[in-house]
Amino acid sequence: MKTAAGRVHPSVLELERMARDRAGFLEFLRGWLSRSWRWAREDRYRLVFRVQATALAAMREYLDSRGFTEVLAPVIGPVTDPGIRGAKQATVDFYGFEYKIMSSAILYKQYMAASLGRVYFAAPNVRLEPLDSALTGRHLAEFYQLDVEAYGASYREASRLAEELLYHTVRRVWEEHWRQLETLLGRTLDPEAHKPPLPRLTHGEAVRLARELGCRQPEGAELRWECERALSAHMGRPFLVVEYPRGARGFYDREDPARPGVLLDFDLIYPEGFGEAASGAEREYEPARVVARMRESGEDPAKYRWYLEMLRELHPLRTAGFGFGVERLTRYLCGLRGVWEARPYPKLPGIAPTP
Amino acid sequence: MANLASRLLAAARLRLEALRARLAGPPLGGGCGYPEGEIVARAILGRRALYPRGYGAVAFGGPRRGCRRSPPAMEDLLVLAPPAFTPGRLEVLAEKFREPLYSDVETGGTLGGFRVRLPLAVASMGSTDVASRYSLAIARGAARAGVVYGVGENVATVRGYDRRLTRGHPSLLERLTAYLSEAAERGLGGVTIQQSVEDAYDELWNRVYSDKRIDPYIDEGMVAFEVKVGQGAKPGLGGVIRVPRGEAERLSRKYRLDFDPGGRWATRYSAPATFTAEILRGMIRNMRTSYPRVRIWVKLGGFRDALEAVRIAAGEGADAVVLDGGEGGTGLAPIPALRHLGLPTIAMAAAARRARELGYSVDIMLSGGLYSGFHLVASLALGASGIAAGRPFLIAAAAAGPRGVERYVESVLVEAQMLASALGKYRLDRLGPEDLAAVDPHAARALGVAYALNPQWGAAAAREAGRAAL
Repeated sequence: MKTAAGRVHPSVLELERMARDRAGFLEFLRGWLSRSWRWAREDRYRLVFRVQATALAAMREYLDSRGFTEVLAPVIGPVTDPGIRGAKQATVDFYGFEYKIMSSAILYKQYMAASLGRVYFAAPNVRLEPLDSALTGRHLAEFYQLDVEAYGASYREASRLAEELLYHTVRRVWEEHWRQLETLLGRTLDPEAHKPPLPRLTHGEAVRLARELGCRQPEGAELRWECERALSAHMGRPFLVVEYPRGARGFYDREDPARPGVLLDFDLIYPEGFGEAASGAEREYEPARVVARMRESGEDPAKYRWYLEMLRELHPLRTAGFGFGVERLTRYLCGLRGVWEARPYPKLPGIAPTP
Repeated sequence: MANLASRLLAAARLRLEALRARLAGPPLGGGCGYPEGEIVARAILGRRALYPRGYGAVAFGGPRRGCRRSPPAMEDLLVLAPPAFTPGRLEVLAEKFREPLYSDVETGGTLGGFRVRLPLAVASMGSTDVASRYSLAIARGAARAGVVYGVGENVATVRGYDRRLTRGHPSLLERLTAYLSEAAERGLGGVTIQQSVEDAYDELWNRVYSDKRIDPYIDEGMVAFEVKVGQGAKPGLGGVIRVPRGEAERLSRKYRLDFDPGGRWATRYSAPATFTAEILRGMIRNMRTSYPRVRIWVKLGGFRDALEAVRIAAGEGADAVVLDGGEGGTGLAPIPALRHLGLPTIAMAAAARRARELGYSVDIMLSGGLYSGFHLVASLALGASGIAAGRPFLIAAAAAGPRGVERYVESVLVEAQMLASALGKYRLDRLGPEDLAAVDPHAARALGVAYALNPQWGAAAAREAGRAAL
């Protein structure tokens, strides 16, 4: 059974309906989070957790078969990924030094790609997101990311790998759980709709298409959620948006030396309004360029000293990679309303205490 | 007779009050010929301070001579040029069926994305001792007066984010909520928050953006983040304050510090931060992506390429640019910077005028020694969208607390109404270069206004000449 093109999944519509009553929705979420052990024992969520395990196993299986090595992820460090839109980092007192809890393993992926060549982490991330992101269904304050990096790779190669990885994972999950997914969650997936190569739009093409679909999207800016949703419904299968404009991403997404202002990066986006699956790029590796890009986030590059020193010593540390949100993947595979259904003990901005 | 006596008595009492306020407070005028007395009078008398006769608490209209340098100020170069024929007044007459008064001038509007009662903003100040001490009085007064309130860099890092790190100095959150709680009630104003490189270490903006206590105001559209590219008093140099030794040790990981030999004090330097056109562009883009619900302001000092920065800010969709001329600043700055560094406010006014001619679409604010209704009217006539001021708010708050701030704003508002009405303009945004004349032909050319000694040489001709000259 094929997913009809031009469709937003009923769960996403349900989420949007819930979010319209902001106060009521927050109340619901508060209840959902504060006693999560109750629903975690329901059959449908048992299935969700099993699907998650299968998906992770499938990803590992695929990456291992392609010569990647799984590496243990860091938990804290003096700096972490600053390229997270408006989210605050969590800090710990490390013997008088202020350390950050990883918001992503990005800086360490390059570190390990220099050592082993092709690496991945299944890494926990903490991001104290703005409060309104509790309502999106796509954000958690604590989540897992499958973070992949390859030495010497281009962003095209990285994006091909991300496509293959998604295809493989959907196939394995569907083989293993299709009957239960249909009966318990009413979810159908068509693995063949995920078969690479997936459609690719440059950011400029995506902006134009979004406008044709009636969405107001400024040029040169990150795709607005409404527009990403419209594109996602329109495409009917996963697709890639490549070459985002500079200024919308972290300092580590490499700017094309031949085309200033264009980043060598991509987002892999789910159909049916489920949003972003993975985000990846070729990395900036020349220290002078990295420092200038860091300034765009208003920061003092001095705090990234170890990272900059590493880039200088290991020059040229050319890598490319991507990160796959595990709860978002689970949400998509199971057709859930929000990522808060795709993870035990979910944590959302502003809602505490919870398990 | 009784009338005269009571007036004299009132005058004496006010004089005494003003004197007491001046003696109690620190020398906020900076001792540079700043018209501190005038501000004190405004703070105490509000709109009544506009009438020198009978009050006499201060001498008005004294020449404004900086002790460090005397670049020609706006009031030295420009006069307002009212017309005899005022079709604008006729419009109001036709609408109201009575002769319009100055009080019919509409002063409200938007400024940098905020709804305001008057396009006057409290310039970003903060971590310096004196600015810090009066921050809450200024916040409350500014909120009640319906004007924008700026919090300068380093406040969170030095004074604390939500708890006080130094005795007697309110935390950032105290300042924000003092302002926002009252401003939100009136639905007027907004707060701008700067982030220095050192604040960025602690992710100040991210922290504010995800703070439950600020979120409702962010939702109301009452918060802006201000990128500080530079400031008038020391363009190209970072913030400097003196801190006690104990406090200095706490800050030593994030700031450069010079300890006085054997002394109890240290000087704390903040980095000026590196910018290129590309970095500013990227920064604004990042901010628009990361903080879609806040306004974006950019503050510049008296830079020679300020116009280029305005172009970039406009192109990237910033909400306001503050052009702070060399007369600005309330904090500590090295004497050579005060004496020699940076273009004066009038040059920033010329840049604002030019930016308008070039069609850059972003609110431009002027600051640096600007404090009066005349300054506001002249700035608007040159194409600015408003003015920002720091020192007058300090003096007003020191003299009479939040009420002093309110009365100071009130006096500027009424003054602006009077002057605009005399120009036949009943909305401040109708003011234009035709309302000004320069007493110097070079200034006339550079500012694109008429030359006062040759009024036939109209603004249009001046504009042409200005274009040729630039």
